[in-house]
Amino acid sequence: MDLIYADNNATTAVAPEVREVMAPYLADDYFNPSSMYEPARRTGHAVEAARATIAGLLGMGEASELIFTGGATESNNAALFGAARANPGRRHVITTAVEHPAVLEVAEEMERQGFAVDFLPVDRRGRLDVKDLIRALRPDTLLVSIMHANNETGVVFPVAELARVVKETDPAILFHTDATQSVGKLPLDLSGEHVHVDLLSFSGHKLHAPKGVGGLFVRQGARWRPFLVGGHQEASRRAGTENVPYIAGLAVAVELALRDREAEAAHLASLRDRLEALLVERIPHVEVNGREAPRLPNTLNVAIHFIEGEGMLYQLDAFGICASSGSACTSGSLEPSHVLRAMQVPFTAVHGSVRFSFSRYNTMAEIERIAEVFPEIVARLRRLSPYWDSERNAPRPEALAMLESAASPAEGGGPSARGNSA
Amino acid sequence: MAWEYSDKTRALFMDAVQGKPGTHMGEIDDPDGIGEHGSIACGDALRFTFRVERHPTDPLKDVIIEARYLTYGCTSAIAASEALCAMIEAGHYTPIDALKIKNEDIVTYLDGLPVQKIHCSVMGAEALQAAIFNWAQKRGVDLEQLGVDILPEEKEEGRVVCKCFGLTEPYIRRKIKELGLHSIAQITNAIKAGGACTNCHHTPGGLQDLLDETWGRSETRLKESPEPPLPPGGVPDAEPSPYVVAKRIEQVIDEDVRPMLQHDGGDIEIVDIKDNIVYCRMAGACATCAAADKTMKLVVETALKDKVDERLRVIAVT
Repeated sequence: MDLIYADNNATTAVAPEVREVMAPYLADDYFNPSSMYEPARRTGHAVEAARATIAGLLGMGEASELIFTGGATESNNAALFGAARANPGRRHVITTAVEHPAVLEVAEEMERQGFAVDFLPVDRRGRLDVKDLIRALRPDTLLVSIMHANNETGVVFPVAELARVVKETDPAILFHTDATQSVGKLPLDLSGEHVHVDLLSFSGHKLHAPKGVGGLFVRQGARWRPFLVGGHQEASRRAGTENVPYIAGLAVAVELALRDREAEAAHLASLRDRLEALLVERIPHVEVNGREAPRLPNTLNVAIHFIEGEGMLYQLDAFGICASSGSACTSGSLEPSHVLRAMQVPFTAVHGSVRFSFSRYNTMAEIERIAEVFPEIVARLRRLSPYWDSERNAPRPEALAMLESAASPAEGGGPSARGNSA
Repeated sequence: MAWEYSDKTRALFMDAVQGKPGTHMGEIDDPDGIGEHGSIACGDALRFTFRVERHPTDPLKDVIIEARYLTYGCTSAIAASEALCAMIEAGHYTPIDALKIKNEDIVTYLDGLPVQKIHCSVMGAEALQAAIFNWAQKRGVDLEQLGVDILPEEKEEGRVVCKCFGLTEPYIRRKIKELGLHSIAQITNAIKAGGACTNCHHTPGGLQDLLDETWGRSETRLKESPEPPLPPGGVPDAEPSPYVVAKRIEQVIDEDVRPMLQHDGGDIEIVDIKDNIVYCRMAGACATCAAADKTMKLVVETALKDKVDERLRVIAVT
């Protein structure tokens, strides 16, 4: 049975081109870039060449604005804590309720350390309201951190516009965006459209580089202090011997992604749109989360009413299909996805979400296969569900009533700006 | 994801979904017993039905001959339902005997469950019990007379402790005793209480209080560490300076206590620290809350005793 890998927002296959570029640094070119002898110059050059490549592709003004890190989680920690260290007079942070935990939990940690944090809500379609952002800005706001594209739903936030609003309100506020899901998939120009972004995080393993490498863009002049100290590497802004093979691989991965970005985006959108259309056609009572907002071309998040996500994943797995779910049973907590809850996905569907995310290696034949298998899995699990009438292939009457009450805006459990708003 | 399920659990789940012969998916029309547990909002729900072979004269000699379930939930919830029905049918139990099946039996049948999934087996046992009560009602059997512990509608009645899963104090208290739960983590794994927002963990009347009241832990702790009398002539040389102690108290209040109170719209202010007594004032919502004094004792004092100095006491100032 051939594996169908449809979980590319979790991680991606390492591209053969990337492996090839990395190989020498895992063999003979193992030298520490900081060393003085001639062979070490080659590794040092490899790091600087990678920096120049990526900086150029993302529109950075200077290559030195890019710091290599161990991944997006480190980049996010460094961005938030580093901003706080450099601006001790400012004690307020704004972020969103739907960030990846690598930002969300950092913000919560800052809250415990005494910072005031506002978590901006999203609407039913997954969109932010810029009015909420403006209202949240304060004279002591230190940082605004808003993700570029959501990992679960693929919904894209207009960070260029939001960053402009923030910087025009108060240039001393730092604007950070977690671009882990968007680098390589969406256009990014840090000298052009995204000129107001001060800090940007991204990761290698979401774009066919290996796990354990990423980058943090820190705009020249931005008030920011290093997070990892203990060495002079990366111009003393990120201590630790450079991960030469992975950094070289990262540059090639970014290059590959951006070289054919538009063609690839069109391919991904055709796969995603086809699967979406087929699933909507074949499965009654399905929600497509984020459908009415701008979305990444590769992400499809569906929520199936009256069944639970983990069982669906296990069944898909039995067919060799890899996907993921925001259900409570797949998380460490007993709560379903914070993103879907913030979007007020009805309670009859919020435990039943499945995310398919594609890459350049997926094919239309795989889409057809998923579209063949998945509706059958849904039907079988629904036969086991106390809320479903299999005879009529429809919700039972009492479940239908639930569906109606769930469709109206929830009270209580909905999204709200948390934290210590003034 | 990637829960570590046993082969048995996986196999039961796969067979159930494929509707293989010998599986128990479904619902018995006009059942002799029906019991439900959980809800879709909580992430899992089970409807369990059974049919008995009725004894012509003595309902107590009814024998369960068929059991079916419909389950909304994850792999282990479905496998646990399947296990429950299989055990019931294989045992040819009378309903009263079937009451002896506990969640541990379901776990054993499944060759174990990950601890975070124990609640799936509890759900099965609860639905079974409810179904047997339903049978007793229908057959006019007086369970109380038989010495069966009839639970007074506990899930509907009483103060809700875990708001996320709608679980009440009497229910949680019973489960703490019945399943021998000694920590919040164990409670969460068994019945899900406290597994979502975590607000009920350490609030007054919360899970820790229920545990302490059941097992008498806080009393024990106090007895084990009585307030040592100060040595005559003041503090010994090795004591940290009052400045250091004060800074530490401030830090614990800031980091551990205040965020928790602020979450409920309250706040706390240190008025003074003197001779191991911390004088505090509650502000915001906490100031008008009837439980304020208790909160002070429980939350502030415990935090300070644990993290700064066992001898510290807290006195509320208004």
